[in-house]
Amino acid sequence: MISFKDLQYQIANKTILEDINLEIPDGVFAAIIGPNGAGKSTLIKLLLGLIEMQEGSVIIDGIPQKKWLKANSFGYLPQREEFDRSFPATARDIVLMGMAGTLPWGRRFNKEHETKAVEVMHMCGIGEKAGAQIGSLSGGEYQRVLLARAILTDSKYLILDEPEAGIDRPGVTSFFKLLKKFNEAGKTIITVSHDLHTLSKYCTFLICLNRRLHCHNNAELINAEVIRNTFGDSVRLIEKEY
Amino acid sequence: MPLFLISALVGAVLSGISLAIFAPYVTLRRISYMGEALSHIAFAGIALAMISGLNLTFGAWMFVSIVALGISWLSQKYKIQEANTITIFLSLSMALGIILISLKQDYTFDLASYLFGNVLLISASELWALGLLNVLNIAYVLFFYKELFYLSYNPEMSKVFRIRTQAVDKIFYLLLAANIVFNLKSAGIILVTAQLILPAVTAFNLTCKLYKAIFISVIVAIISALAGFAVSFALNLPTGATIVVCQALLYTLSFIFKKGRR
Ligand SMILES: Nc1ncnc2c1ncn2[C@@H]1O[C@H](COP(=O)(O)OP(=O)(O)OP(=O)(O)O)[C@@H](O)[C@H]1O
Ligand SMILES: [Mg+2]
Repeated sequence: MISFKDLQYQIANKTILEDINLEIPDGVFAAIIGPNGAGKSTLIKLLLGLIEMQEGSVIIDGIPQKKWLKANSFGYLPQREEFDRSFPATARDIVLMGMAGTLPWGRRFNKEHETKAVEVMHMCGIGEKAGAQIGSLSGGEYQRVLLARAILTDSKYLILDEPEAGIDRPGVTSFFKLLKKFNEAGKTIITVSHDLHTLSKYCTFLICLNRRLHCHNNAELINAEVIRNTFGDSVRLIEKEY
Repeated sequence: MPLFLISALVGAVLSGISLAIFAPYVTLRRISYMGEALSHIAFAGIALAMISGLNLTFGAWMFVSIVALGISWLSQKYKIQEANTITIFLSLSMALGIILISLKQDYTFDLASYLFGNVLLISASELWALGLLNVLNIAYVLFFYKELFYLSYNPEMSKVFRIRTQAVDKIFYLLLAANIVFNLKSAGIILVTAQLILPAVTAFNLTCKLYKAIFISVIVAIISALAGFAVSFALNLPTGATIVVCQALLYTLSFIFKKGRR
């Protein structure tokens, strides 16, 4: 279980997150929704320890976040990953990054690790590209590589920041189906998404965020008003896309 | 061949190799500005060591290491615009170095040989130091291969996946500082950065595997050191500069090869 307690976050005197009290139970398929600039990525980065906590605390599995992070890692897929197209790595090298932390200094990946990585890549629909240079991948293909990397961490938490970005329509459906499978296998999934349409079919726990929490609960309890409170007028725009 | 020539030749080769092992990482991490800055800061380090009576190379290495760690810490912590800060640092330390040296007038200091390098002046103990440095370089790159790979790819994500890169990164800067300082004598303050970039960009024109790139980078350095040494000796040209020109030629060839393969 992940709980946020009285979280506040400011950048240059501007409040980005306010009064966040939230408990995400184990085993849920949680979605964080909210308009651009709502603070979704910021919340996730705080959870991952990528930015310093200012006020409040995060408890993971009953352990303070800092301590938890020393012994565990999250399966994380960032909203944007800066990378150099000419970097001399294959898709499989990037996927293996997910388990590189489990190997001590001086130890290389062996055949077993590599086979496992390619297996996960096949699950993510990117298996044939295992040996491809990262510079030759499309945006959507890269996204699948990053998903495979997140899964390879073997963390019980999968944290995904707009994973469907750049993925084609049928791809998104298979992406979420795959996530569902991992969810049913026991992983807790927390995903940021703008794709309300697809989310409604898969997620079991909805977190509506726009600087503050507008609701967080069982997905079925969500009604139009909460959505409107979270998004304001932009909600209509999003519905029109599909 | 007289002994001093042999040791100069060995020095040029060892110096080229040591820079070439680090070059691929300097290129991938996009920190060639660090090489540039550290070599100039080393000048202030040498001047400081001279004033305080320390061994020049060792004193400069300590100074440069501290500054290197400081810069990398600052740039991570505050995500500052590195280019500006470093240019200021670089000019300032050059200025301080010049002032310090001018204060110590009784000391005979061959400024030109530090600026442009003079491999003929290399001593036996410096050769041993270069040899040892190469052993350390190779051990470091082999032992931390995976950590260095992911650190170069993306330090932030390395942290997320708990890859043990923190100590590896610190050692990186200590060794980078050592590679620059110990090569000032042979390569020169102004030209040492060229040898820290050219072999790697040449290698990356020829391969897209990191371990192959390191290997090719070293080969490029060895060929350039031998050819540069021979040409400079035959035509009575400055050795360090000739070696850099050889590396640039090899780079051009690799570029043409890459274009031709497309
Ligand atoms: N490094 C930064 N410097 C200044 N402001 C920042 C920084 N990072 C985020 N912000 C601000 O914090 C707010 C929240 O950003 P965040 O990236 O968390 O939004 P988001 O909900 O993920 O949006 P999106 O849907 O566009 O990804 C934004 O208003 C942004 O301007
Ligand atoms: Mg975001």
